[in-house]
Amino acid sequence: MKRRTLLKGLAAATAASGCDRGGTTPPTLSFVGQSPERGHMLRGPKHGEAVAERLRVNTLIVGAGAAGTAAAWRLHRAGLEDYLVVELEDAPGGTAQSGHTARTAYPMGAHYLPSPHPELRWLHELLREFGVELGTDAAGRPEYDPTVVCRAPVERHRYKGQWFSGVYPGLGETDEEAEQWQRWLDHLRDLDAQRGPDGRRLFALPVDHSSTHVRELDGQSMAAYLDARGLDSWRLRWTLDYACRDDYGTPLEQTSAFAALHHFLCRGLEEVHDRVTLMWPGGNGELVQMLAQAGEVAPRRRTGLVVFDIDTATGTTRAWDVSTQSVVEIQAKTVLWAAPRFILPHVIAGDPLARGALSYAPWLVANVEVDRRPGGIGVPLAWDNVNIEANHLGYVVATHGESLPDVKTQTGTVLSFYDARVPAPDQTLDAVRNDLLTASLDDLAVEVTGALEGMHPGITPSIRSMAFARWGHAMVRPVPGLLFGDALARAATPIGVVHPCATDVGGVPLFEQAFSNGVRAAERALLAAGQPVDTLIQPS
Amino acid sequence: MSKAETPTAKSADKSADKAAGGSAGETVASLPDFGPAPLQPIPVKPRFVLLSVLVVATCGLVYELISGTMASYLLGDSVTQWSLVIGVYLSAMGLGSWLSKYVEKDVHARFIQIQLIIALVGGFSAASLFLGFAYLASVRPLLFGILITVGTMVGLEIPLLMRILAGDDDEARPASLKDLVARVLAFDYLGSLAASVLFPMALLPYLGLVRTSLFFGLLNGAIALWSAFAFAPALRRAMALKVQAGITVLALAAGFSVAPQLEQFGESQLYDFPVIFSQKTPYQRLTITRWQTDIRLYIDGNLQFSSTDEHRYHEALVHPATTVAARLAAAGGGGVRALVLGGGDGLGIRELLKHPEVQRIDLVDLDPAMTNLFGSHPVLTRLNADAFSDPRVHVHNADAMEWLLAHRREGKEAFDLAIVDLPDPNNFSLGKLYTRGFYRLLRSVLTPGGVGVVQATSPYLAPRSYWCVVETLRSAQLNPVPYHTLVPSFGDWGFVLISPQSVEPPSALPPSLALRFLSDAMLPTMFVFPADQQPVPVEVNRLNDQMLVHYYEADLADPIVSRK
Repeated sequence: MKRRTLLKGLAAATAASGCDRGGTTPPTLSFVGQSPERGHMLRGPKHGEAVAERLRVNTLIVGAGAAGTAAAWRLHRAGLEDYLVVELEDAPGGTAQSGHTARTAYPMGAHYLPSPHPELRWLHELLREFGVELGTDAAGRPEYDPTVVCRAPVERHRYKGQWFSGVYPGLGETDEEAEQWQRWLDHLRDLDAQRGPDGRRLFALPVDHSSTHVRELDGQSMAAYLDARGLDSWRLRWTLDYACRDDYGTPLEQTSAFAALHHFLCRGLEEVHDRVTLMWPGGNGELVQMLAQAGEVAPRRRTGLVVFDIDTATGTTRAWDVSTQSVVEIQAKTVLWAAPRFILPHVIAGDPLARGALSYAPWLVANVEVDRRPGGIGVPLAWDNVNIEANHLGYVVATHGESLPDVKTQTGTVLSFYDARVPAPDQTLDAVRNDLLTASLDDLAVEVTGALEGMHPGITPSIRSMAFARWGHAMVRPVPGLLFGDALARAATPIGVVHPCATDVGGVPLFEQAFSNGVRAAERALLAAGQPVDTLIQPS
Repeated sequence: MSKAETPTAKSADKSADKAAGGSAGETVASLPDFGPAPLQPIPVKPRFVLLSVLVVATCGLVYELISGTMASYLLGDSVTQWSLVIGVYLSAMGLGSWLSKYVEKDVHARFIQIQLIIALVGGFSAASLFLGFAYLASVRPLLFGILITVGTMVGLEIPLLMRILAGDDDEARPASLKDLVARVLAFDYLGSLAASVLFPMALLPYLGLVRTSLFFGLLNGAIALWSAFAFAPALRRAMALKVQAGITVLALAAGFSVAPQLEQFGESQLYDFPVIFSQKTPYQRLTITRWQTDIRLYIDGNLQFSSTDEHRYHEALVHPATTVAARLAAAGGGGVRALVLGGGDGLGIRELLKHPEVQRIDLVDLDPAMTNLFGSHPVLTRLNADAFSDPRVHVHNADAMEWLLAHRREGKEAFDLAIVDLPDPNNFSLGKLYTRGFYRLLRSVLTPGGVGVVQATSPYLAPRSYWCVVETLRSAQLNPVPYHTLVPSFGDWGFVLISPQSVEPPSALPPSLALRFLSDAMLPTMFVFPADQQPVPVEVNRLNDQMLVHYYEADLADPIVSRK
């Protein structure tokens, strides 16, 4: 009831402002990206249908997100072109899908890549192949395409009505709080400099390249880790909680201490290697597209194909072709399961992994088209804009990297608003997920408008459209005990000819992890096809 | 506020007054300070009269703030202007308060008329000051006229309101003096607080001066209009007052709707000399002024050059680097391919074209309106010796960074000479053209032995900015050689000679150049920085933090401290 009233208010405000603009309509609302209905199709009774099309490939890759596309790229690189990528959605990209308005491309999910640690030579090579890394300077530091380097102002936060730089709420900080923050930064620097007895970095990518030295940290929560160190400043904990929710969709209490520290240290600290954030208007969808282009994946990729049955012994796979409404049977030597792991038990018989062993965070990503750039008192509009006094993740500006003519002449932009749905203490994850997936367009519009009003009072009339991407299972949650526990190891273990290799079985929802998973799975497929391979993902 | 509380003269709800009213028992007769005027009890809720005190007080202070701001803008020396404005305004208020004792009859009508005067004079104050600045020999009489009128009227209205309230309270229970004074003055000062907070944070940034003053004029007008209805029983010529108030509100609303034009016109009058050309392009506002032989270009109100001394700037910018490049080219038996980033006024290429070794110039400037203007306007083509019509010059209207990226991506021929003449880094969009990433890109389009020059702000006025540019060039392996010279209309101005290989400043200029400012004797002196202008420790300007934009802001805000 209250929502209705508010929505009417919004419509009225929009209409009122429309008068001086010569009549405009209320914002257009739409759902984009993953369709919950499509995912549920694989549970449908298609098993009885006759096979309309039969295919035979060496390797079948299920899922055209970052991991699946990386696998295809790896096969192409090794000269194995006898593969097929199938994707249940109509567009590739997975959780890194891009959408677009007339003005700009925008991200529906994963949307940036921090410049990799110097030790990740394989990733630097990849970025050079893509032209993202232009070369190195005389000191050997990588030089990136300046149009994809996130330029200042990078982050700002709103606190007590004003905007400040960064995401640490420093206004009114006490000496004790400042000391804690400094102690935290020193702690990170100390950890960053350390190597385990095995000579490896403590926190590396992919996760299994981390030294075995501090893996026991995975057993405790980040909240407990901070408690044990007397770090109780609300400011520090807010910033860290924000980081965990932003990267993992989990609050401090539900994030493994190893995973939280991994977030800060896996790419190395900024001061040691010139770290920058690489970003694209369409988010990591553009990165996946570069990968697909480099691997010439498009001709060997079919979308709208819902795999509903795999024989793990023979590799015989059946899929429902949404466009022709018929069954396709694919005979494959190796099946790389680059789709979320939780779907697999619906497709194969006898999954050794217990149901619910991996948990996933539901996310809402709303792309909000506005006809003027938001401002605010204090630091000007940044790439990432965060509200300290709210529990959503704020928004990034899709057009942040645009060139001068557009900066000067285009007033509007697209704000990509992110919200990881964290359950309240009395809520289950399923309930939160269900609320997200059953919310109407109006409900979501009211919610997101309210959140943006909380950051920019009076922004409502400038909203032209809102596109909502609902992710029931956006990312695996690295809860305490996940990363180095049995469940994850079991989740990643091949079942017959089926190799689970999506991002989730790596434990952290990061591009580097997705890429490693896909590449390694492809290398196993190459071995199975009798091709000797040198693994690309070498620890340093 | 619920509908039921909306005040109307006809439906006075006296029971509600108990909440707002004070202690009972004292009578009107115990208020001798409010003069002998017969006080007609009018059935209007005091809380709405108090609300109007709040509005009236807010408006009053806003006009003061507008006058002070306008005085600082138009007359400069903000300490003096603010002191005078505050003093004159407060004393005018005192005058008004004193005058209030001469208002003996028709207090309500006088109150409404005063409101209308404030609405008109205060509401149009900013607009008339802008226009006055354009047309009057001195804007001071107008400024103080407005200030004294508004101050006097505001000083008058508070005592009148008190008197209305005193007589207006419940007939049986008039408010006590202490209560009345407490309430009215509390709201009065509260209104001042509201104004002083709103003005810098919300009004000035969002509405601007002209619309802020008109907006508050409208508020005053609205109070008058409302009062004309609310006090109708106490008014002898209620209809006339209602009509006057209505006309005032309409006039202010009309003013409000054309405010942007007024403001634009007003601002164009802020230049020192008559404007001979003004154009709002999609990217910027170009304004050209002329006074006798002095032609000046302003971009968004910032001086770009004055024709009286631009030759100093452009000779110093162009000839040292070009002389080195020309000598190298002559030794190699080839010509010079030159790149100019910015410099859409064509004054730099006028100098560049004096070197016969220059075979081709690619000039990249964002705004086509700028290059078209300086390629066609007769006054301006005379200034730049019609440089744009030289067949060697090729103009590209693009973002310099995007253009360089494309040039490099397409593997086009490298440049022997680069002249980077971009506007000062006063925002992040421009700041990116001073970052290490940008300079690396620049380096990549230079031949290995190529040379260049970067305009790098003033080492005297903005030392951190200047040395930040130098350090950033160093971090991009461009071997910076800093130098500077005096350009009177800018001050001491800084440049940086660069090259992928180390570069020696030239010791002599080609005699054929026939320069007005530079000479061989002059050359080495430019590369000397006096003791009080030595490098200061600064960080490199990187794309992801843009320290330079912060330095530039800090330098301009506090040049003295930064020179320590």
